[in-house]
Amino acid sequence: MYGIDGVDLGIDGIVMFCATLYDPSHDFTCLDGSEKIPFSYINDDYCDCKDGSDEPGTSACPNGMFFCRNIGYRSHYIPSSRVNDGICDCCDGSDEWATGTNCTNNCYELGASAREEAKEKHDIQQRGYQLKLQYSEQGKQSRKEKQEKFEILQRERSEIEAVKLEREALKEAAEIPEKEALEKHRAMEEEIRSQRQASEKQKRDEEALAAFEQLDSNQDGVLTSDEIMAKPIFDQNGDGLVSEEEAKFFLSGQTEMTREEFLNTGFVLMKPYLTHEEEVASPPPSSTVTPPAEGGELPEIPEGETDEEEEDFDHGEADHDDRTEDSEVLPVEETLPYDPETQKIVDEAKAARDAYNEADRRLREIERDLKNIEDSMKNDYGPEEEFSPLHGHCFEFTDREYTYKFCPFDYASQRPKHGGSETRLGQWGHWAGPENNKYSIMMLEKGVQCWNGPQRSCKVHFTCGVDNVIMSASEPNRCEYEMNFVTPTACAPPTGSPDDLLAHDEL
Amino acid sequence: MRLNRNCLFFILSFCYVKGVDKGNFKSCEQSSFCKRHRATRETPSAYIADLKSLSLHKERAFIDVINVEANIPLTLEIIALHNYAFRIKIQEKNGLRKRYQVENALVREPETAPIILLEKKDDHIVLGLDAVNRMVIQGNPFRLDLFNKDGHVITMNGRGMFKFEHYRTRKTLLGKAISKVAEVVGSSGSLTHRLASWIGNLLSSPEEIPMEHNPETDSQIEPLDAEEVQQTSEEPPAEVPVNNDAEETEPGMWEEDYKSHHDSKPYGPSSFGVDLSFPGSNHVYGIPEHADSLALRDTLNGDPYRLYNLDVFEYELWSPMALYGAIPFVMAKGKEGAVGVYWQNAAETWVDVRDVPGGGVVSSLMKLVSGGASEPGPHKEVHFISESGLMDVFFLLGPGPKDVLQQYTGLTGVTPLPQMFAIAYHQCRWNYNDQEDVQFVHENFDKEDMPLDVIWLDIEHTDNKKYFTWDPIKFSDSLGMMKNLSDKGRKLVTIVDPHIKRDSNYFIHKDCEANGFYIKDTNGKDFEGWCWPGSSSYPDFFNPAVREYWKEQYAFDKYHGTTKDVYIWNDMNEPSVFNGPEVTMHKDKLHHGGWEHRDVHNIYGMLVVDSTFQGLMARGENKLRPFILSRSFFAGSQRYGAIWTGDNGAEWGHLQVSIPMVLSLSIAGMAFTGGDVGGFFKNPETDLLIRWYQAGAYQPFFRAHAHEQTRRREPYLYDETTKDIIRQAIRQRYALLPYWYTLFYENEKTGIPPMRPLWLEYPKDSDTFALDDVYLLGDSLLVRPVTESKATSVKVYFPSDESAMTIWYDVETYETFTGRGYKSIEVDMYKIPVFQRGGSIIPKKLRPRRSSVLMQHDPYTLVVALDEEGKASGTLYIDDGESFDYREGKYVYGHLDYQRGKLSFRFLDAGRYSDASWVERIIVAGLRLKPHKIFAQIQGTKDHVELDFKYEAKMHILTIRKPKLPMNYEWHLQFY
Repeated sequence: MYGIDGVDLGIDGIVMFCATLYDPSHDFTCLDGSEKIPFSYINDDYCDCKDGSDEPGTSACPNGMFFCRNIGYRSHYIPSSRVNDGICDCCDGSDEWATGTNCTNNCYELGASAREEAKEKHDIQQRGYQLKLQYSEQGKQSRKEKQEKFEILQRERSEIEAVKLEREALKEAAEIPEKEALEKHRAMEEEIRSQRQASEKQKRDEEALAAFEQLDSNQDGVLTSDEIMAKPIFDQNGDGLVSEEEAKFFLSGQTEMTREEFLNTGFVLMKPYLTHEEEVASPPPSSTVTPPAEGGELPEIPEGETDEEEEDFDHGEADHDDRTEDSEVLPVEETLPYDPETQKIVDEAKAARDAYNEADRRLREIERDLKNIEDSMKNDYGPEEEFSPLHGHCFEFTDREYTYKFCPFDYASQRPKHGGSETRLGQWGHWAGPENNKYSIMMLEKGVQCWNGPQRSCKVHFTCGVDNVIMSASEPNRCEYEMNFVTPTACAPPTGSPDDLLAHDEL
Repeated sequence: MRLNRNCLFFILSFCYVKGVDKGNFKSCEQSSFCKRHRATRETPSAYIADLKSLSLHKERAFIDVINVEANIPLTLEIIALHNYAFRIKIQEKNGLRKRYQVENALVREPETAPIILLEKKDDHIVLGLDAVNRMVIQGNPFRLDLFNKDGHVITMNGRGMFKFEHYRTRKTLLGKAISKVAEVVGSSGSLTHRLASWIGNLLSSPEEIPMEHNPETDSQIEPLDAEEVQQTSEEPPAEVPVNNDAEETEPGMWEEDYKSHHDSKPYGPSSFGVDLSFPGSNHVYGIPEHADSLALRDTLNGDPYRLYNLDVFEYELWSPMALYGAIPFVMAKGKEGAVGVYWQNAAETWVDVRDVPGGGVVSSLMKLVSGGASEPGPHKEVHFISESGLMDVFFLLGPGPKDVLQQYTGLTGVTPLPQMFAIAYHQCRWNYNDQEDVQFVHENFDKEDMPLDVIWLDIEHTDNKKYFTWDPIKFSDSLGMMKNLSDKGRKLVTIVDPHIKRDSNYFIHKDCEANGFYIKDTNGKDFEGWCWPGSSSYPDFFNPAVREYWKEQYAFDKYHGTTKDVYIWNDMNEPSVFNGPEVTMHKDKLHHGGWEHRDVHNIYGMLVVDSTFQGLMARGENKLRPFILSRSFFAGSQRYGAIWTGDNGAEWGHLQVSIPMVLSLSIAGMAFTGGDVGGFFKNPETDLLIRWYQAGAYQPFFRAHAHEQTRRREPYLYDETTKDIIRQAIRQRYALLPYWYTLFYENEKTGIPPMRPLWLEYPKDSDTFALDDVYLLGDSLLVRPVTESKATSVKVYFPSDESAMTIWYDVETYETFTGRGYKSIEVDMYKIPVFQRGGSIIPKKLRPRRSSVLMQHDPYTLVVALDEEGKASGTLYIDDGESFDYREGKYVYGHLDYQRGKLSFRFLDAGRYSDASWVERIIVAGLRLKPHKIFAQIQGTKDHVELDFKYEAKMHILTIRKPKLPMNYEWHLQFY
């Protein structure tokens, strides 16, 4: 049952062109040269050669290979360990020659469907490749445009830099007289304000004195608790009596209070009760200065053409610095209008400043545009710029739990299907395919840190297809994601006929 | 326990602690009965045996043992057993409550033997199995001494540590108050006593003490006075014990708190303990499971070894802490012989181990006793302490270590021969995500030509942790998945844990709830705990109806989507209760028959597996051998299959400890064990993973497993060199499957485990007694796996028989090592130091296949390694690899023997099996002279067939080419 010596078919398990090495009329030398054995030892189900070359048709050698002829389908090798193990591995069933395993030869069927498949694949490859060529054109065009734009912007930059310098000088020149005029103006304001304050204080002191006289029943110049207790207006708790405690409260914890103390502290405490009774005619003067209103309006910046990625920029910070006005401004009602001469100086300075700011803003815009173009030109869009058109697009894939998003040259993310926030799986890092096929894998790195784990990352496998589609997304290792992305960009130039592809594929 | 992102609530506190949090598990100090026993004063014992009370029957004897302080009579029952063993039972003579007698651990009621009264004196009695194997019972103080052919081998209560807490009624609430105070004060004994008397004086009447009411205990414990106690007990003790009150004041006797958990202890104290010393034995082994050395260490300066089945997160190494399983069995190794003690108790048990210096311990009485021992030298002593249950102890008198193992497995059973696949390579992960993932994994093994027999599915394969179900989307076509596996001869193992999700739409829960199948709370309601599925209840496997129910669930028409190629993994069966005390069940929860969980805890896990085993038998009409992996175990669990060493970690220390852990299990009857290859927690470095595969390939149960949060680590994912090394390691396992299989068959017959400490085969070589980095597979292979990082060489101890001439052959190079002692062996990353003993014959199958099933008919290579006399022998067992047909004689068990130029194969018994396998190669190592010719003769034929061979003169190796010897015939070769 073991060994197939004498089987007419020749040497089983070897590819035809090797058959010449097995010459029945001579002793056999192991292909590695290690041993010379009688020819009868070939395929006798005993391993004589270290390289397994004496047993191409049996399972005797642990390192041997068995050749499935598979006429009608692909011929290929299988490990010797699969010969006569009860499982049909060759489609022609030739590997199970001794076990009686009932293998049906389905090579022709497999061949037919494989050819069909190969044809389809070939077709896809062809169409995909055509698209890739277009992508490539677009990509190159885009690079060219970017280059041109870059140069234009560079020129603009040097122009605007000059303008900015010039305007800065003008601005500074205009601000000197403005500073002087404003200082003068503020001094005037200050004077008016102190005059007003003095008259207010006088008024209040008079009022307080009047109150003191009235409260100091015995007119001895000292206010005592008895005197307070005699005044029902000081009944704070409304029990109809002014207790000693209540009196003490108004006398700042003392039993008596001099006139001077009353002016400083007592009056403030008692005043609300006094007015309560007496309906003091004049409203209390505002004794505190209202803090200046913050800021006012920001200088208006005309919003020009803003590019993508707006959110990354914060205009606010820079604009605040433009505010040159002294923040110590009088309350609105007390603002002293500028005299015409001052007004003119201020207006001129503002105009110079605005002009300068405009130039500065424009310069920064240009610099930002330049940087974007530069960054984008640094991206490796492939040898033929074929990946370039993918940049700026995003693709989604939804499985049972999540919607995955892949934006080539940008980022990948995941968000729960049934609500919840998006999690960044990674940002564009680099191409990570094997040396001979670098552009087959895009690596997105430095995603959100996993709880108690590493930063997320995502590996995207590119394979040839007619449309750009994510075929699958998974997390084979914790926090390490993988996607399969079908795209024309991964289509190699089709070679020859589908049959070539079929043959080429497995061998 | 496995970590889950969802388990935040209860386990956050210990989920992300680095390593075990000792604070989650009790020390002896925190376990009141352990503390009380450890504090027992030494000699003289408070107990005397009333020798006059001896009542002798044919196979057993009864003697009263009395606590002289409390005057509580106990009954000592001595039973003589067949095969050199005594069994004793001690319990109250007139107990208030029945004590739990462990069931299910013994394979059957042990066969008894006639008991012989050898001597009866006033101060001692001698009872014998024969004139040599005997037990001396000393009256005052009470003590037992056992003798075998080596002389005096075991003493019980030699140090007077015997203490038996009889069941008692809680007489006064005063006691409760005092114990409460004492607990709060946490005082030493004397302070407690002073406090007790102070409170006693202060309060004239106990009834006046304002008590906080505990509904659970109050219902059980009525305030009774002494007279009522006497009336309620069936046969009251003669006197009211005077000292009882003092005892009552010990803290933790009537209720005990641990962390936020309260143990209501309605029955009060019931523990017992005793010292057992082994004169002449300097090594004791056993009482698994601990992550510690094989030889037990002195515990004087730390905690005792603890036996209490617990789900321990990231367990600590080289520690006596309790782990997932408990086998209360010790073996003591003397200069040549060995004896064993099986302490049959399922309650929480602590075991102190002491190195006793020579002299003084065994009283001079022994010299008087006929054949008495002389003063013992330094030796080992153990002190067993159990919380409740019957005191039920087996003394196994050996006299050799293999005899002890046979005696022990004679009592508790052996591991039945597993199916071939079960001893092959298993690939597990928490979790293989879906059926496509499963397909992907086994396809990749094929792509890399790495053998694989079994893929495992952890908890995530179920529909929301409802066991016996499948995730309807991820495993929508489990039968299709199974077909793909079965087509390659492969199997699947699914997990079935004993915690049941409390989901009113879950059929198991509905059934269990409706039938009252769950473990009950103290108030009689179904206990609800927290585990993987969230709120869960636990079937009470002590209820026969529950076992029957569980068994039925495995039927193919109940457990949908399974086939005969699906086998089972019972995990979390300690049981694990995330929110319970020490992550397990509260001790006062109630089981069938009114037993408290306290009484039965350590046996719960085994009963789960028992029911599963019955289920797998029943579903296939008892044709195919079941395979079950369990994490928890008890004495007797070996009868149901494999256990693994739980949730280890990817660290070198965990790899190292796996060897003593498996050896310790092996000599306690668990033949089929192993650790998670690669380490469950954390990510192994590549070299650690390689070394672990190499070690795992030479342990009985060979499974790679990984935690959910680790990186994928299937061996096909690595670089070419790593893949090749791991492929070679797995292939070595497969090549040796015929040998492993033979060892497992022999284990079923003899109880001797496949993986053995050296001293099991070399019992007189005292240098081997503490070794646990090297071991034997069977008696023919010496294995010393590399378990050290960056090792370039390892020191290997080579044992030898008395001639000191034993030859060991490197299995790869046939380099020989002769004599006893250490040799340094150089190792590269490929090297697994394995040596074949001169004098042995090992059967191998060298053709690598995708799975073991596909190797069934492959031819054998016999490796004959000659000893110094030019002889060798071995055995080979063959059957169909899966069914119970071997029990009907469908097998071949043959003896291979080589001497004086003749190699023969003879059947050892009447078993016959027609197998297509044959011998393709015979290698004879150590053959000094080249034969001229070799002829083969197959029995029943007259032909003498001349065989081809090759001889390598330099290495003395003969290779016989293709002798075509069939294994279903006897045959012999003659060398000329």
